[in-house]
Amino acid sequence: MAELNETIHQPVRLRVMAALVALEAGNEVDFTYLRNLLEVTDGNLGAHLRKLEEAGYIAVNKTFVERKPRTFVAATAEGRQVFQEHVAALESIVKRK
Amino acid sequence: MNVSPDEAEEALAAIQSVTQKTRRSIASSGAHIYLIITGAVWLVGFLSTQFLPGEITIAVWIGVSLLGSALAVLLGNRMGRRVRSPFAAAYAMRIGLFWLLLVLYAVAVIAVARPTDGKQVTMLVILFTMIGQLSMGLLLTFSATWWALPITALALAGYFLLPDLFYLWMAILVGGGMIALGLYIRWRW
Repeated sequence: MAELNETIHQPVRLRVMAALVALEAGNEVDFTYLRNLLEVTDGNLGAHLRKLEEAGYIAVNKTFVERKPRTFVAATAEGRQVFQEHVAALESIVKRK
Repeated sequence: MNVSPDEAEEALAAIQSVTQKTRRSIASSGAHIYLIITGAVWLVGFLSTQFLPGEITIAVWIGVSLLGSALAVLLGNRMGRRVRSPFAAAYAMRIGLFWLLLVLYAVAVIAVARPTDGKQVTMLVILFTMIGQLSMGLLLTFSATWWALPITALALAGYFLLPDLFYLWMAILVGGGMIALGLYIRWRW
């Protein structure tokens, strides 16, 4: 049976994972784009990304584009798997209602 | 970890909302720019073909096409930086080669078929462009595919049903339609 995941269940992290899993596998999204999409602050998003990265659910890629530092974020295979399990667990709770 | 059914329902709603927002945002990020630019080029170009003499028409088409291409590359690059796809990066060369070959095949078909008037040449160019668009959409992302079909259908309808007003049809209905669709995707989707 699918299990709930405490790291992912936090509202901002849940939305971050939902956005990253919505991308095609392997695609990565710009930090600024993600911040605007989720309507959160730089600091808030950065802190939650760190937690997800530590858990191994996302990969953060810091690079330079046209000499400017840019941060790209992608869901890892493990992150996708855990997120799907979390969604399945939430659905089973709703079904029991 | 305990989550009540109401909390679970709220979490699922949040997930669905973000998923939908992300997909729409990514899908529309490139599409609306290309639709508005192509629509504007076709609107101006086909209006000139319908109403202006041949020499001026050629100059107008060259001018708006160059301007449109430059804008599309500039704005497309800026929008494309939001999401990086290893697939697109790895296949950028093949995508470029595909469009180059498609242009060469279009030229070859036109040379073999020897169309008798400008409308036939226009229609062949549109068909090849839409084949390219459909191929890109099917291979890279399904979201970019669908709009090539109604444009092709509208162009064919104008070609067969209103041959005398074909260029005006292409300008207002197809060019204007693309601009309207692009604006709709940008503001409402």
